[in-house]
Amino acid sequence: MAIGANAPARVTTIYKAPSAFSRNAPGYLFLLPWLIGFFGLTLGPAIASLYLSLTDYNLLQAPDWVGLDNYVRIATADDKFISSMKVTLFYVVCSVPLKLTFALLVALLLNRGIRGLPVYRAIFYLPSLLGSSVAIAVLWRQIFDADGVVNTLLWYLFGINGPSWISNPDYSLYTLVILAVWQFGSPMIIFLAGLRQIPTDLYEAASLDGASKVRIFFKITLPLLTPVIFFNAVVQTIDAFKAFTPAYVISSGTGGPIDSTLFYTLYLYQEAFGYFRMGYASALAWILVIIIAIFTAFSFLSARYWVHYDD
Amino acid sequence: MTLTIDRRQLLAGMAATLAFGSIGLGRANAATAMRLLWWGSKERADRTFAAVKAYQAKNPDVSIAGETFGWDSYWTRLATQTAGGNAPDLIQMDYRYIFEYARRGTLLDMTPYLGKSLAIEDFGAPNINSGKVDGKIYGVNLGVNSSMVVVNAAAWQEAGVEQPHDGITWEQLGDACAKVTAAKKRRGFYGTGDQSGGEPALECWLRQHGKALYTNDGKLGFEAKDAAEWFAFWAELRKSGACVPADVQALDQQTIETDMLVTKKAAVSYAHSNQFVAIQGLVKEKLDLIAYPSNPDSKPGQYLKPSMLMSVSASSANKDAAVAFINYLVESPDGAKTLGVERGVPASPKIRDLLTQDLDAISKQVVDYIGRLTPHVGALPPAPPNGAGENAFLLKKIAEEVAFGKSSTQDGATKFVEQAAANITRG
Amino acid sequence: MTDAKLTHFPEDLSPPRERPWFFSILIHVALIGASILMLYPLLWMLSGSVKDQNEIFGTASLIPSHFDFSSFPRGWFGGQVNFGSFVWNSVVIAVLSVIGNVISCSLAAYAFARLNFWGKSFWFALMLGTLMLPYHVTLIPQYILFLKLGWVKTMLPLVVPKFLAVDAFFIFLMVQFFRGIPRELDEAAMMDGCSPWRIYWRIMLPLSLPVLATAAIFSFIWTWDDFFGPLIYLSDINTYTVQLGLRSFVDSTGSSDWSSLFAMSSLSLIPVFLIFLFFQRLLIDGIATAGLKR
Repeated sequence: MAIGANAPARVTTIYKAPSAFSRNAPGYLFLLPWLIGFFGLTLGPAIASLYLSLTDYNLLQAPDWVGLDNYVRIATADDKFISSMKVTLFYVVCSVPLKLTFALLVALLLNRGIRGLPVYRAIFYLPSLLGSSVAIAVLWRQIFDADGVVNTLLWYLFGINGPSWISNPDYSLYTLVILAVWQFGSPMIIFLAGLRQIPTDLYEAASLDGASKVRIFFKITLPLLTPVIFFNAVVQTIDAFKAFTPAYVISSGTGGPIDSTLFYTLYLYQEAFGYFRMGYASALAWILVIIIAIFTAFSFLSARYWVHYDD
Repeated sequence: MTLTIDRRQLLAGMAATLAFGSIGLGRANAATAMRLLWWGSKERADRTFAAVKAYQAKNPDVSIAGETFGWDSYWTRLATQTAGGNAPDLIQMDYRYIFEYARRGTLLDMTPYLGKSLAIEDFGAPNINSGKVDGKIYGVNLGVNSSMVVVNAAAWQEAGVEQPHDGITWEQLGDACAKVTAAKKRRGFYGTGDQSGGEPALECWLRQHGKALYTNDGKLGFEAKDAAEWFAFWAELRKSGACVPADVQALDQQTIETDMLVTKKAAVSYAHSNQFVAIQGLVKEKLDLIAYPSNPDSKPGQYLKPSMLMSVSASSANKDAAVAFINYLVESPDGAKTLGVERGVPASPKIRDLLTQDLDAISKQVVDYIGRLTPHVGALPPAPPNGAGENAFLLKKIAEEVAFGKSSTQDGATKFVEQAAANITRG
Repeated sequence: MTDAKLTHFPEDLSPPRERPWFFSILIHVALIGASILMLYPLLWMLSGSVKDQNEIFGTASLIPSHFDFSSFPRGWFGGQVNFGSFVWNSVVIAVLSVIGNVISCSLAAYAFARLNFWGKSFWFALMLGTLMLPYHVTLIPQYILFLKLGWVKTMLPLVVPKFLAVDAFFIFLMVQFFRGIPRELDEAAMMDGCSPWRIYWRIMLPLSLPVLATAAIFSFIWTWDDFFGPLIYLSDINTYTVQLGLRSFVDSTGSSDWSSLFAMSSLSLIPVFLIFLFFQRLLIDGIATAGLKR
């Protein structure tokens, strides 16, 4: 993967003819805890799951080697693979841009000098605190079912008799998108932190030059915020691809009605723990990794053209 | 806490003790330390912990650590622990999963204990057999259970329609429910929930027609035309307004809180008899429970099955002690009294008699129901093949497709039979 | 636009900037309106905690027909173990996780953002790759690993990984922020003969307070909300976390104590909320107040 973490050689030129060791040692030393964790705790399980993806493993008995059978089935004979991938892609494409835009707008609003800011920030983060709680499942149903809050409002405001949004296969996925957007707290906080890190002197200079607010935003705030925007976009996309809890909690793990909220990872979970097909689920997982990796690689490639780093 | 402590565990233990300084180690030095895992409500937890405590008091050399979770988390945890070779000694089992676990060699064959430390002969053959897989005892019945129809008596009275009763036919139920809906006494209220996606209902209906979900050799026991008839019956009810529309039924997630009767969408719904008490707890109006509808010429459709079972892990280091504890739960007056009928009606007649004396009215209704039903039930169905678990979800999905008008009853039925057969082959 | 106050204020230290009063009111009205939308779940949960069981599911009304506060003592004291000990266990695990994540991830992030070493892009790609694997399939291999280490039944599997920077999210987050810090600063320090360690400790960390605070907030909240890890690794009911304790009120196959669930859910928000308020003070510091001149 082409990764943007290639710092220029400016630092190293400071030393005179550094040896390979002194050039590399500090980096690896700082990386040591991560390396131990990676080799000790992450790599093993990851390889194990790669191995399991080539087996028939029912969790309770030793795995049986089946070669590429699982992958062949995914590619040729699995309707649910295709339908769950469609659901997930739709979810990614809808929820990520909406959530990020919303988070950025609120962060900009909350970054200004307004009284009571800490309180507002905390309140706006509240929905994200409730993330995976069981309570959300009940709440969401009461908001979006046939005589829920949304339909009551629609009736009083517009005289519209709305459908049961959450249990109608044509709309149920939208209610999950709304849930994702409503829980915009994490990217908002990260945007806020990003905004706080923009050096004030830049704004001072710009305002002395008489630049307009709009101009300041597009010339200073936005460019300096691109690393953070980039981060949020990548992470939120990965997260949306891996989204599991919302659908699991709200559909009681079924992905219903009619598989309309059967996210990819929910399907994977059902295969693994519902139907005891851990081998197949592992294959599904690695297909997902490849798909996410392609998306991520593309975003890193694009980053060269729009992400501004101070190095 | 473990008994043999090496240095690594000591370190771990020290860290844990530091962190949880205030927590005692319990009876870490008992000779026989076992773990007991179950799912269920808080009441079940209270009763089970009480039974454990009483048992420990009588058997000072035994210590049992209880672990309890909700249904969904339970199976993930059990699968993980079993896969890791660290299954609990005592495992609460469900009828749906016992075949999966037993056939894969993770449960102890308790047949050798029968009549010795496992004195459950008085259960009678059906209730002993309900814990058998391929002829061997892998689970002990913790409560006798059957499917049931729940009826909201007040709603029927309000609508001025005669309340359904045991022995009603499917057609009569449909007609009566249509009248309840037509009475329009409550807003958004229908006669019955839509049970076209409910596996117990379909199974009962098939058995009444001399078919079955699965045959003895693990094949599908019905054809597309049977499924089509089933879907068509419910389509008719949807049309007549007797049952709830598709988008209302889809709110039912086969949990108690989302039941159509509990959420006040229907006057009739369907569940298992051990859930009656919990359902009544969520509804103010008085409820009744009756048998599934039948047809005049039908064969017995319902059967008695365990609400849950207790199994012993094949890898347990304390197999004898574990079996003895199970026996205490189901056969000793002490243990059984502590558990009550919370897990269902006890299979042992002597325990049942002992308990019914001081039952509350609602639990009595359940015991009565099982008593009423017993003469009319059929034999246990043959063991479901691997992949059967997935078919329950498949039925729900395809029933929804039909209900939402995305498939015709005929197409839905064909698809269901094809995919269900494929799931079985895949295992 | 000659007003110098137009610049970027650390708002807690300076007065709100001048603007027409109606504009301020408009913003507050919008913010309060949005706040209600955001607060709705909490209000709903609180109202659910004093409602009757059958009222929770039967009606959508936010206002309970009567107030029954017994769900609070029932939820707190009613179980085998006092709910307070769940809270304590959660706090211990969450605090250790915060410390572990902040230290180990910032070390790794500094290496990726500022140091130059052989194979950096490769490791960085691997690190990102670990973000992508769904955890359901690594669950069992990981469980077996921790079982072999003898860590199962303790909180070590929940805490030790945090000290080994396994949360790639935080590393990536910090990398992005470190790279936004002007390079002149550490180059100058390096000219002065500062070691990488001193640069990390004396320049990077102090200048990165916002992102460290962010990481701390997220570590705490996510550990607090984590359900799967504790579900798999903790056995003894005395060691349960809040999330495990909460789920014990609910069983989809039988009777559940929803009022207690809502009561304890509401209470269990308090620690996270406090952490949030505490760390967001750090969030608003950072470069803006460091008096940094380029």
